Amino acid sequence: MRRVAMVGAGMTPFGELFDLGVKDMLPMAVSEAIAHVDKGFDRSDIQAAWFGELVTTDGFAAGILADSCGLLDIPVSRVENACATGNDAVRHGMLAVASGLYDVVLVAGADKVRETSTRTTFWDWMGMTRDMAWDFPLGLVAPANFALHAARYLHESPATREHMAMVAVKNHRHGASNPKAQLRFEITVEQVLDAPMVAEPFGLFDCTPQSDGAAAVLLVGEEVVDRYTDRPVWVRGVGLGVDRVMHQHKPDMTTFPPTVKAARQAYAMAGIGPADVDVAEVHDCFTTVELIDYEDLGFCDRFGAAKLVEAGDTSVGGRIPVNPSGGLKAKGHPPGATGIAQCYEIFHQLRGTACNQVDAARWGLAHNVGGPTAVAAVTILSTDRG
Amino acid sequence: MGPGLVTVIQSIGTYLPPWGTTAARCAGHDEDVVTMAVAAGRRAMGSSPAGTIRSVVLVSRDVPLLEGGNAAPLLAGLGVDAATEVREELGGAPAALAAAAAAPAGTLVIGADLGPAGAAALLLGGARGAELTLAGRVSRSLPVVTRDAHGEVTDYADPRLARERGVGVSLERAGLAGKVAAVAGLGHKLAAPLSAGDPPALPTVGASAAIFALAAVAERGGGRILAVEQATVAIADLAGGPAVPAVPVARNEPVPLPPPSGTATPGPGIAISLAAYERAFDAKLRLAAARCAVCGCLSLPPRYRCLGCGSEQPTELVDLPRDATVYSTTTVHVPVPSLVTPYSLALVDLGGSGVRLLAHVTGAPPGSVAIGDAGDMVLRRVAVRSGVPDYGYAFLPRERTEVAA
Repeated sequence: MRRVAMVGAGMTPFGELFDLGVKDMLPMAVSEAIAHVDKGFDRSDIQAAWFGELVTTDGFAAGILADSCGLLDIPVSRVENACATGNDAVRHGMLAVASGLYDVVLVAGADKVRETSTRTTFWDWMGMTRDMAWDFPLGLVAPANFALHAARYLHESPATREHMAMVAVKNHRHGASNPKAQLRFEITVEQVLDAPMVAEPFGLFDCTPQSDGAAAVLLVGEEVVDRYTDRPVWVRGVGLGVDRVMHQHKPDMTTFPPTVKAARQAYAMAGIGPADVDVAEVHDCFTTVELIDYEDLGFCDRFGAAKLVEAGDTSVGGRIPVNPSGGLKAKGHPPGATGIAQCYEIFHQLRGTACNQVDAARWGLAHNVGGPTAVAAVTILSTDRG
Repeated sequence: MGPGLVTVIQSIGTYLPPWGTTAARCAGHDEDVVTMAVAAGRRAMGSSPAGTIRSVVLVSRDVPLLEGGNAAPLLAGLGVDAATEVREELGGAPAALAAAAAAPAGTLVIGADLGPAGAAALLLGGARGAELTLAGRVSRSLPVVTRDAHGEVTDYADPRLARERGVGVSLERAGLAGKVAAVAGLGHKLAAPLSAGDPPALPTVGASAAIFALAAVAERGGGRILAVEQATVAIADLAGGPAVPAVPVARNEPVPLPPPSGTATPGPGIAISLAAYERAFDAKLRLAAARCAVCGCLSLPPRYRCLGCGSEQPTELVDLPRDATVYSTTTVHVPVPSLVTPYSLALVDLGGSGVRLLAHVTGAPPGSVAIGDAGDMVLRRVAVRSGVPDYGYAFLPRERTEVAA
């Protein structure tokens, strides 16, 4: 396999983008990625494209990307892998370049969660990830789905609702200075604890908002990278893990085995371990999920997450900054775009151009988990060509 | 069907929803006549093997599916073979009392009502036991209250007319003007003048009231029961005295709680796939898992490929334990379209079987269940989807199953 580099990244702001359809957001993100390639980039160089989208709002997904972005003469495919869609789409693009079949590919992602009324969205989106006869009628809405993990995690680990709140406070602090974030305000631990309950133990501020948005990255083979930049970011590791789909079949709900599997693959491919990671963007759709991620990704020992967040180790300036962009929690979570937007953030971190810059970051990690918690994808990026 | 019919009552079981007041229970939003009939029926069956039930008679005026479809969930919930005869009888207390006095041995007679809510069942047995004899029955028309096929109710609102020209004349026609031990179908105030002594207060007035009356009279050592519905009456005598074996009465009547003050959020309705419903039916309503023929592993839901060893050999459904322990739980507070919030979900381990089930919590205020709590799995109407009652098992915390003193 040959080396693969990321040479451009773009994203729309995340938010309730009622004025933009998916056909608007996609070209915005793609054009930003193209415009910021250091030595210039001709759209006609793109030889293939992958589009990560969970729910299509305006027609069939691959066609929408091709049509809206002027990519009518290349193969375009949709990737859908629940909330791991974004990083899985990056993985597909990376493998296509690594194989030597293509030199230049586009990976884009988008979702319009706020395109339908909140009333219908609940059931439309649940229908994708629940067993129709057994789970769907129970009302296992997204917060409840993760809350069953969180309740058990709080039961077994030393973590408390205060530790969950610390995650929210940190990610809001990071997101407040990110111009692309949806929730750009700081909050306090007290505000988190006093917020209206959504699904116990999650209050309102423990939850990601519902978001619209798009993101895109350009991947190229090592032979052609010099044409585009002298400061490439290398895609050093990718991994994808799965698990039993139904909660009934997950023996230990204090961990996400798909994350452990995906991370193991990505670390092995990159030839590094968790201690080498300088900055990470992880899936924090709910605060407890970020705590569990620390452990599954190896940033601390099992049930060590509470101490990690308590010590400020995962804040920018700490030992292993996590979610400097604000994470899903503050930046927003349009699922198809989320993982690609994480790579956008790591791309900027490794090039020294991020809004909450981590000093001298060389290795970055992006991570999604979802579906309901049966799939995870991890991407490891580096300044080091390897 | 006239007087002179005799049956033998083997056992009686009752069920009252945990919601409402002692005077009037209301069904939970996850209950209907089928789930309440199952709860009472299982109590009446007690430890009797399901195989001894030869037929089931459900008397009610509130069955959920008027176009059919009630019998299968009823049998599945009772754990009785699907080949068993089910008779759904539209009727009130007189119909239930007459059925109890006329059905053959091996029949489970159940009465169930929504307002006030409750269900009671009796199992008719063999030669030895308390005999129930139908003493008289008169059907006359004085429909002071009507309900049409669309559920619209009109009330003529003339209680004196109903009393004098309804019950009164019918009792005269039956030639049975004497006092009785219990009256089913009338409130306590109207029942008292017809009774010898203070009649037992019954929790319902519909079909189940006749069986609640039988339970009360059985506990008092036998006597005459009058069942009334508008101008229709039935009268039966339950044998008593030292020579008559006592009828075991198993009551499932928890102390009532105020109905949960949930918020119903309007919504598009919960979609259903009837194909998926039909495939899941037996395992879901009988609480049975597929047992692998190779490794013995239990899979719930049943699946083509074994969860344990990956075998794709045919499997057999086996009943799961119904005692459960909470592995994790959450309570949803955020409004969910088409549902009443808050509601609690629990992932529960089924008594040493290694099988875990995701279920609603029932019979307890939302948020009152914690990890490690013990309880029982009971049949409930999990949702109504496109008009279809979607039955499944819910977790009933153990302390709520206590019987009222």
